[in-house]
Amino acid sequence: MSKRLYVTPYRCIDCKICEQACSLTNTPVPGVPAKPRVQSFSVTEEMKFVSLCLQCEQASCQAVCPVDALVRNPETGAIEVNDRCIGCGFCVQACPFGCMDYDHTHNEYIKCDVCKGDPACAKYCPTGALVWSEKPWSDVEADEYAKKKKSTDPLTIALEMVKK
Amino acid sequence: MSEAKTNETVRLTIDGREIEAPKGAMILDVARDMGIDVPSLCAHPGLEPFGACRLCVVEIQKPGWDDWYKQLVTSCLFQVSEGMKVWTNSDEVRQNRSVVLDLQMARVPKSDHIRKLAAEYGVTETSYAERDTDDTCIMCGTCVRACEAVGRSAIATLSRGPDKYVDVPNKDACMGCLVCANLCPTDAIPFEANDNGKRRIWGKEFDLVADERTGEVLGPQEYLAHIRKRGNNNGLRMPDDMKHESAKVKRFDYAQKLCRVAEVNEPVAEKVK
Repeated sequence: MSKRLYVTPYRCIDCKICEQACSLTNTPVPGVPAKPRVQSFSVTEEMKFVSLCLQCEQASCQAVCPVDALVRNPETGAIEVNDRCIGCGFCVQACPFGCMDYDHTHNEYIKCDVCKGDPACAKYCPTGALVWSEKPWSDVEADEYAKKKKSTDPLTIALEMVKK
Repeated sequence: MSEAKTNETVRLTIDGREIEAPKGAMILDVARDMGIDVPSLCAHPGLEPFGACRLCVVEIQKPGWDDWYKQLVTSCLFQVSEGMKVWTNSDEVRQNRSVVLDLQMARVPKSDHIRKLAAEYGVTETSYAERDTDDTCIMCGTCVRACEAVGRSAIATLSRGPDKYVDVPNKDACMGCLVCANLCPTDAIPFEANDNGKRRIWGKEFDLVADERTGEVLGPQEYLAHIRKRGNNNGLRMPDDMKHESAKVKRFDYAQKLCRVAEVNEPVAEKVK
């Protein structure tokens, strides 16, 4: 079974690290952050959510695109925007989940392409709310991951050193 | 659009580098994939190749030809073939490009883009009589092809020869999407996109629809209607009274809906603790 990006809302703490990782990884101009393809929300106090392209089987964005600029990459299973895009913006209106977007900084239409098979958001997620895996993680796996992440996270190590 | 559907490949040499390319691909696409800079004004990967600007000319030699014989072709329109040799930056090619740019400089003296390109080929001043005009249209037809691609065909090239021009014979069909203006290589299509809810292009004024909650401009009424129609024709359910929202609002609504479902199915709050 191929890997997918799995979101577990109750593990999300809305820290927006996924957004930062995404916008710095996917920018065409290094150093100038792009609009993030992934967004996290606090729906209520307790409920956080990561909004992410679902890579629909029958995608609305693909259906309305007049120039076949949205093509599924068979290796990752993600739909990618290629250089055929003429910038009509039909896909933005057609996507019911708001996951097609326009980046005003770099003037391009953007969508999640799971970073060509190595999603930065999942790599940097500190709690295991976003995972790039073959199946959703169990709570035990996520806890272990979070613990390990905490002990190896350079920022945490640095903070602990300062405290001492 | 020029990519071939078959898996057959051919081997050819571009600037001394051997490359395997899909059968039916155009020389321009293959060369650009290799990282070779071939200038062009009218080529766009999403639109049908047109061969209007003549800037992408390259020299080719096919197997079996005499050694001295080479042919100049527009690379955006010429398919690769087995054993073909291509030169993208030879003296002959540069000479041809400079003539084209010389002519364009006379046609559109006010275009900075053409001026910059011409300077790269050693043309700083045109040797022909300059046209006295502010117009920067080079008749590449990109706007016309783009309008056709989005399914409106509002604009077209009219007249013939030196008097040829781009205009909007089908004014009703224009939906103010600004694709033509954005794709124009020399920014020759004037438009006004104001934040006060109006957009003006091709002598037509459009009322813009904004998102109710965030105020983000989504586009003209006609544009949104065209997308709904296109969606319905392609198997999506996009009713006429469909609410158009900005991406951010759609994301938030979806998150809210999912979280509500999650609340019913499993006690989210407990799991957080």
